[in-house]
Amino acid sequence: MKRVAVLVLIAILALTAATFAAPRRGGTLRVGLNADPPNMDPHQSTAAVDRQVFQNLYDKLVDINKDLEIVPMLATSWTIGEGGRVYTFRLRPNIVFHDGTPFNAEAVKANFDRMMDRSFNSPRFSEINLVSAVQVVDPLTVRITLQKPYSPFLSILADRAGMMVSPQAAQRLGRNMAREPVGTGPYKFVEKRPQERIVLERFDRHWDSAAGNAQQIVYRPFTDENARLANLRAGELDIIDAVAPAEVPKLKTDPVLKLSEIVGLEWQGMWIQVESGIFANKALRQALNAAIDRRTLVRVVFAETAVPANGPFPPGMFTNSITANSRIPERNLDLARQKLREGGQPNGFAFTLKVSPGRIPQQVAQVIQSMAADVGIRINIEIVEFGALLSQLDAHKFDAALLGWSGRPDPDANIYGFFVTGGGLNNSAYANSKVDTMLDAARILTTQDQRRRAYTDVMNALNEDLPYLFLWWPKNYKVYSPKLQGFVHVPDGMMRFRHVWLSP
Amino acid sequence: MSRFLARRLLLTVPVLFFVSVIVFAIIALIPGDPARIMLGEEASREALAGLRKEMGLDRPLTVRYVIWVGHVLKGDLGRSVRDGRPVLETMLQKIPVTAELAATSLVVAWAIAIPMGALAAWKRRTVVDYAATTVALAGISIPNFWLGIMLIYLLAVNYRLLPPSGYVEPWIDLSRNLRLMVMPSIVLGTALAALVMRLLRSSLIEILATDYIRTARAKGLGDRGVLLRHAMKNAMIPVATIMGLQLGGLLGGAVITETIFAVPGIGRLALEAILTRDYPMVQGVVLFAAIAVVLVNVFVDLVYAALDPRIRLEEAG
Repeated sequence: MKRVAVLVLIAILALTAATFAAPRRGGTLRVGLNADPPNMDPHQSTAAVDRQVFQNLYDKLVDINKDLEIVPMLATSWTIGEGGRVYTFRLRPNIVFHDGTPFNAEAVKANFDRMMDRSFNSPRFSEINLVSAVQVVDPLTVRITLQKPYSPFLSILADRAGMMVSPQAAQRLGRNMAREPVGTGPYKFVEKRPQERIVLERFDRHWDSAAGNAQQIVYRPFTDENARLANLRAGELDIIDAVAPAEVPKLKTDPVLKLSEIVGLEWQGMWIQVESGIFANKALRQALNAAIDRRTLVRVVFAETAVPANGPFPPGMFTNSITANSRIPERNLDLARQKLREGGQPNGFAFTLKVSPGRIPQQVAQVIQSMAADVGIRINIEIVEFGALLSQLDAHKFDAALLGWSGRPDPDANIYGFFVTGGGLNNSAYANSKVDTMLDAARILTTQDQRRRAYTDVMNALNEDLPYLFLWWPKNYKVYSPKLQGFVHVPDGMMRFRHVWLSP
Repeated sequence: MSRFLARRLLLTVPVLFFVSVIVFAIIALIPGDPARIMLGEEASREALAGLRKEMGLDRPLTVRYVIWVGHVLKGDLGRSVRDGRPVLETMLQKIPVTAELAATSLVVAWAIAIPMGALAAWKRRTVVDYAATTVALAGISIPNFWLGIMLIYLLAVNYRLLPPSGYVEPWIDLSRNLRLMVMPSIVLGTALAALVMRLLRSSLIEILATDYIRTARAKGLGDRGVLLRHAMKNAMIPVATIMGLQLGGLLGGAVITETIFAVPGIGRLALEAILTRDYPMVQGVVLFAAIAVVLVNVFVDLVYAALDPRIRLEEAG
């Protein structure tokens, strides 16, 4: 009896030790990415996969946490003044870049100068083009003035535009920073061999003494999703990004590997070109929408790897609760027929739906095709190569097309450019002055309540006008070995490794 | 022999010219705007215009071709639009990797095909022959990607005999380098082996029925002597041809095999470059592949001449 008690005690101690074990230092964290990151300079980068490596190589002025709240990083605090036009950041003291250059207000200014230098042609320019001045107040205080209030500004600084590169290295390297990056992050750059590996090593002088538990991080690209998973299973990797939907049910019950699942920031659905052609007739857009059963579509094509959607704000965003965004419309064939009559096409009509190559877009198109056929709407599915599809969407040369958006933490970046009149991503050529006013208002308003109200008006208009049929919000997956401890899955899908550790 | 060589080499010039035109034209005619693909869905209109100008996409096609050929002749293949590195530098890093894979795959192919082909021909219409032919048929029919994934699951995940994928330079860790090459070489090698085996079998059967073989037997030569000394050399002529023609197939197979096994070779480079519309890189890689195929075929012609004196004599006469 006594022996049993001792054993139980040992077991309890062991379990507690495992649960509350202090982070362990050392080891090499091996990461499988779905593509090869081409460019290591955040101010030149255009590929999404680059951002995975940047999370650990660079610090940003601010970051987002798993609840999408803005949290301090290089800036410890900030104030927003003059009606949202002036941002004053207090910077963390005693920070150095990987090359020893001190990080301070001058460095922040140099970074903004670099992004705004027209001859440098930075893709970040369009993200920060509202900045009118960057002023060094004292070595640890920097003031950024905008031309007009822009409430999503902090969320922009939580991504590539807020990543600080060493001004001295930037001066010396110019565009070659893409190959020899120098930041302040918990890991410094060692080497990059295209299509093979990127190696980072712990930076001993990083300001956060709790960061950088693993000694090294090695990123390897695997474009084949089966090969990526096989490498994780074989123990050659510790964590991988993204898995094939078909693998998800098996991974959920996998005895060894851990699967992390959250709804990301992405939205997917169907663009409808409203300027000319058959869909210039609003009633016909409404007829098509009423014929689609979103829940069935998601169940058939995605099983449990996506959720039905009706707007650009997935769960997790503070704007998700807007009714017109989160209430999934029921299929209503009577309404669809009524709208067809209103639109002057009582017997239905035909249109072409363009989709990019790949299993999922084609399946989605086929399911919608058969749903629409029930009310006499005939869909011709046309498969178009991705680059060509983007060009045709740009030129508004289509009736309808399946294409979504990878998503950003602030609601503005998930809606503004897509629906504002003349917006760079407004593929449907949608124009509604009331929507424009409310989208602009949401940029100026500062509290979440006020912004939610503005977006409610926008969403009500979009639900009526239907320039885009929001259909599903994909889930975001990471799979990792039980050795990896302390991983926090942030909805932006970026893997932050500064506080993880590897158990032996 | 040197005249033969010179003539063969001279003939490659017009071939390479046409190849360069085709390479350039196909890539320029692919639908989709490269600037759009590079900058992604989030790009602003001004950034797109800027990049098109930077890449010279605003100029007429013929002007772009002439500029490109001019640079290529000077040995300048341009810079990758994706990571800014010189195309030639990246290619020179990748070519040895694929060359190693091609070489080990050839070894696998020969090691399987030559004994099996010879045996099948020698034991014609027996169980051995049917078994070998069936295996060959399977080798041709099984898709690369399937065989690759199955091998990874079997040998790397289940039995943990081999590392699943990746690449290490031989001078850093030779044993790991070779272990990593085993599965990709099997995948690439078996498909080729099947082809070579069938060809060798039929050409040996034909030769074994000829008069000079009967003469050799009549002289009292044993089976081994007849097969190895007299029959094999002649049977290898069509095999050599196929090997040369298959180099293109080998490079094509390398695209899939290198992707599955994460081998950073020229095949993977080509695939990534095409998917990301890295024009200078695609042009560089395709040009390299074309030159490689042409040169290997010249080499095969030379091997031919060595194997069969009649070919040499015809050319000379």
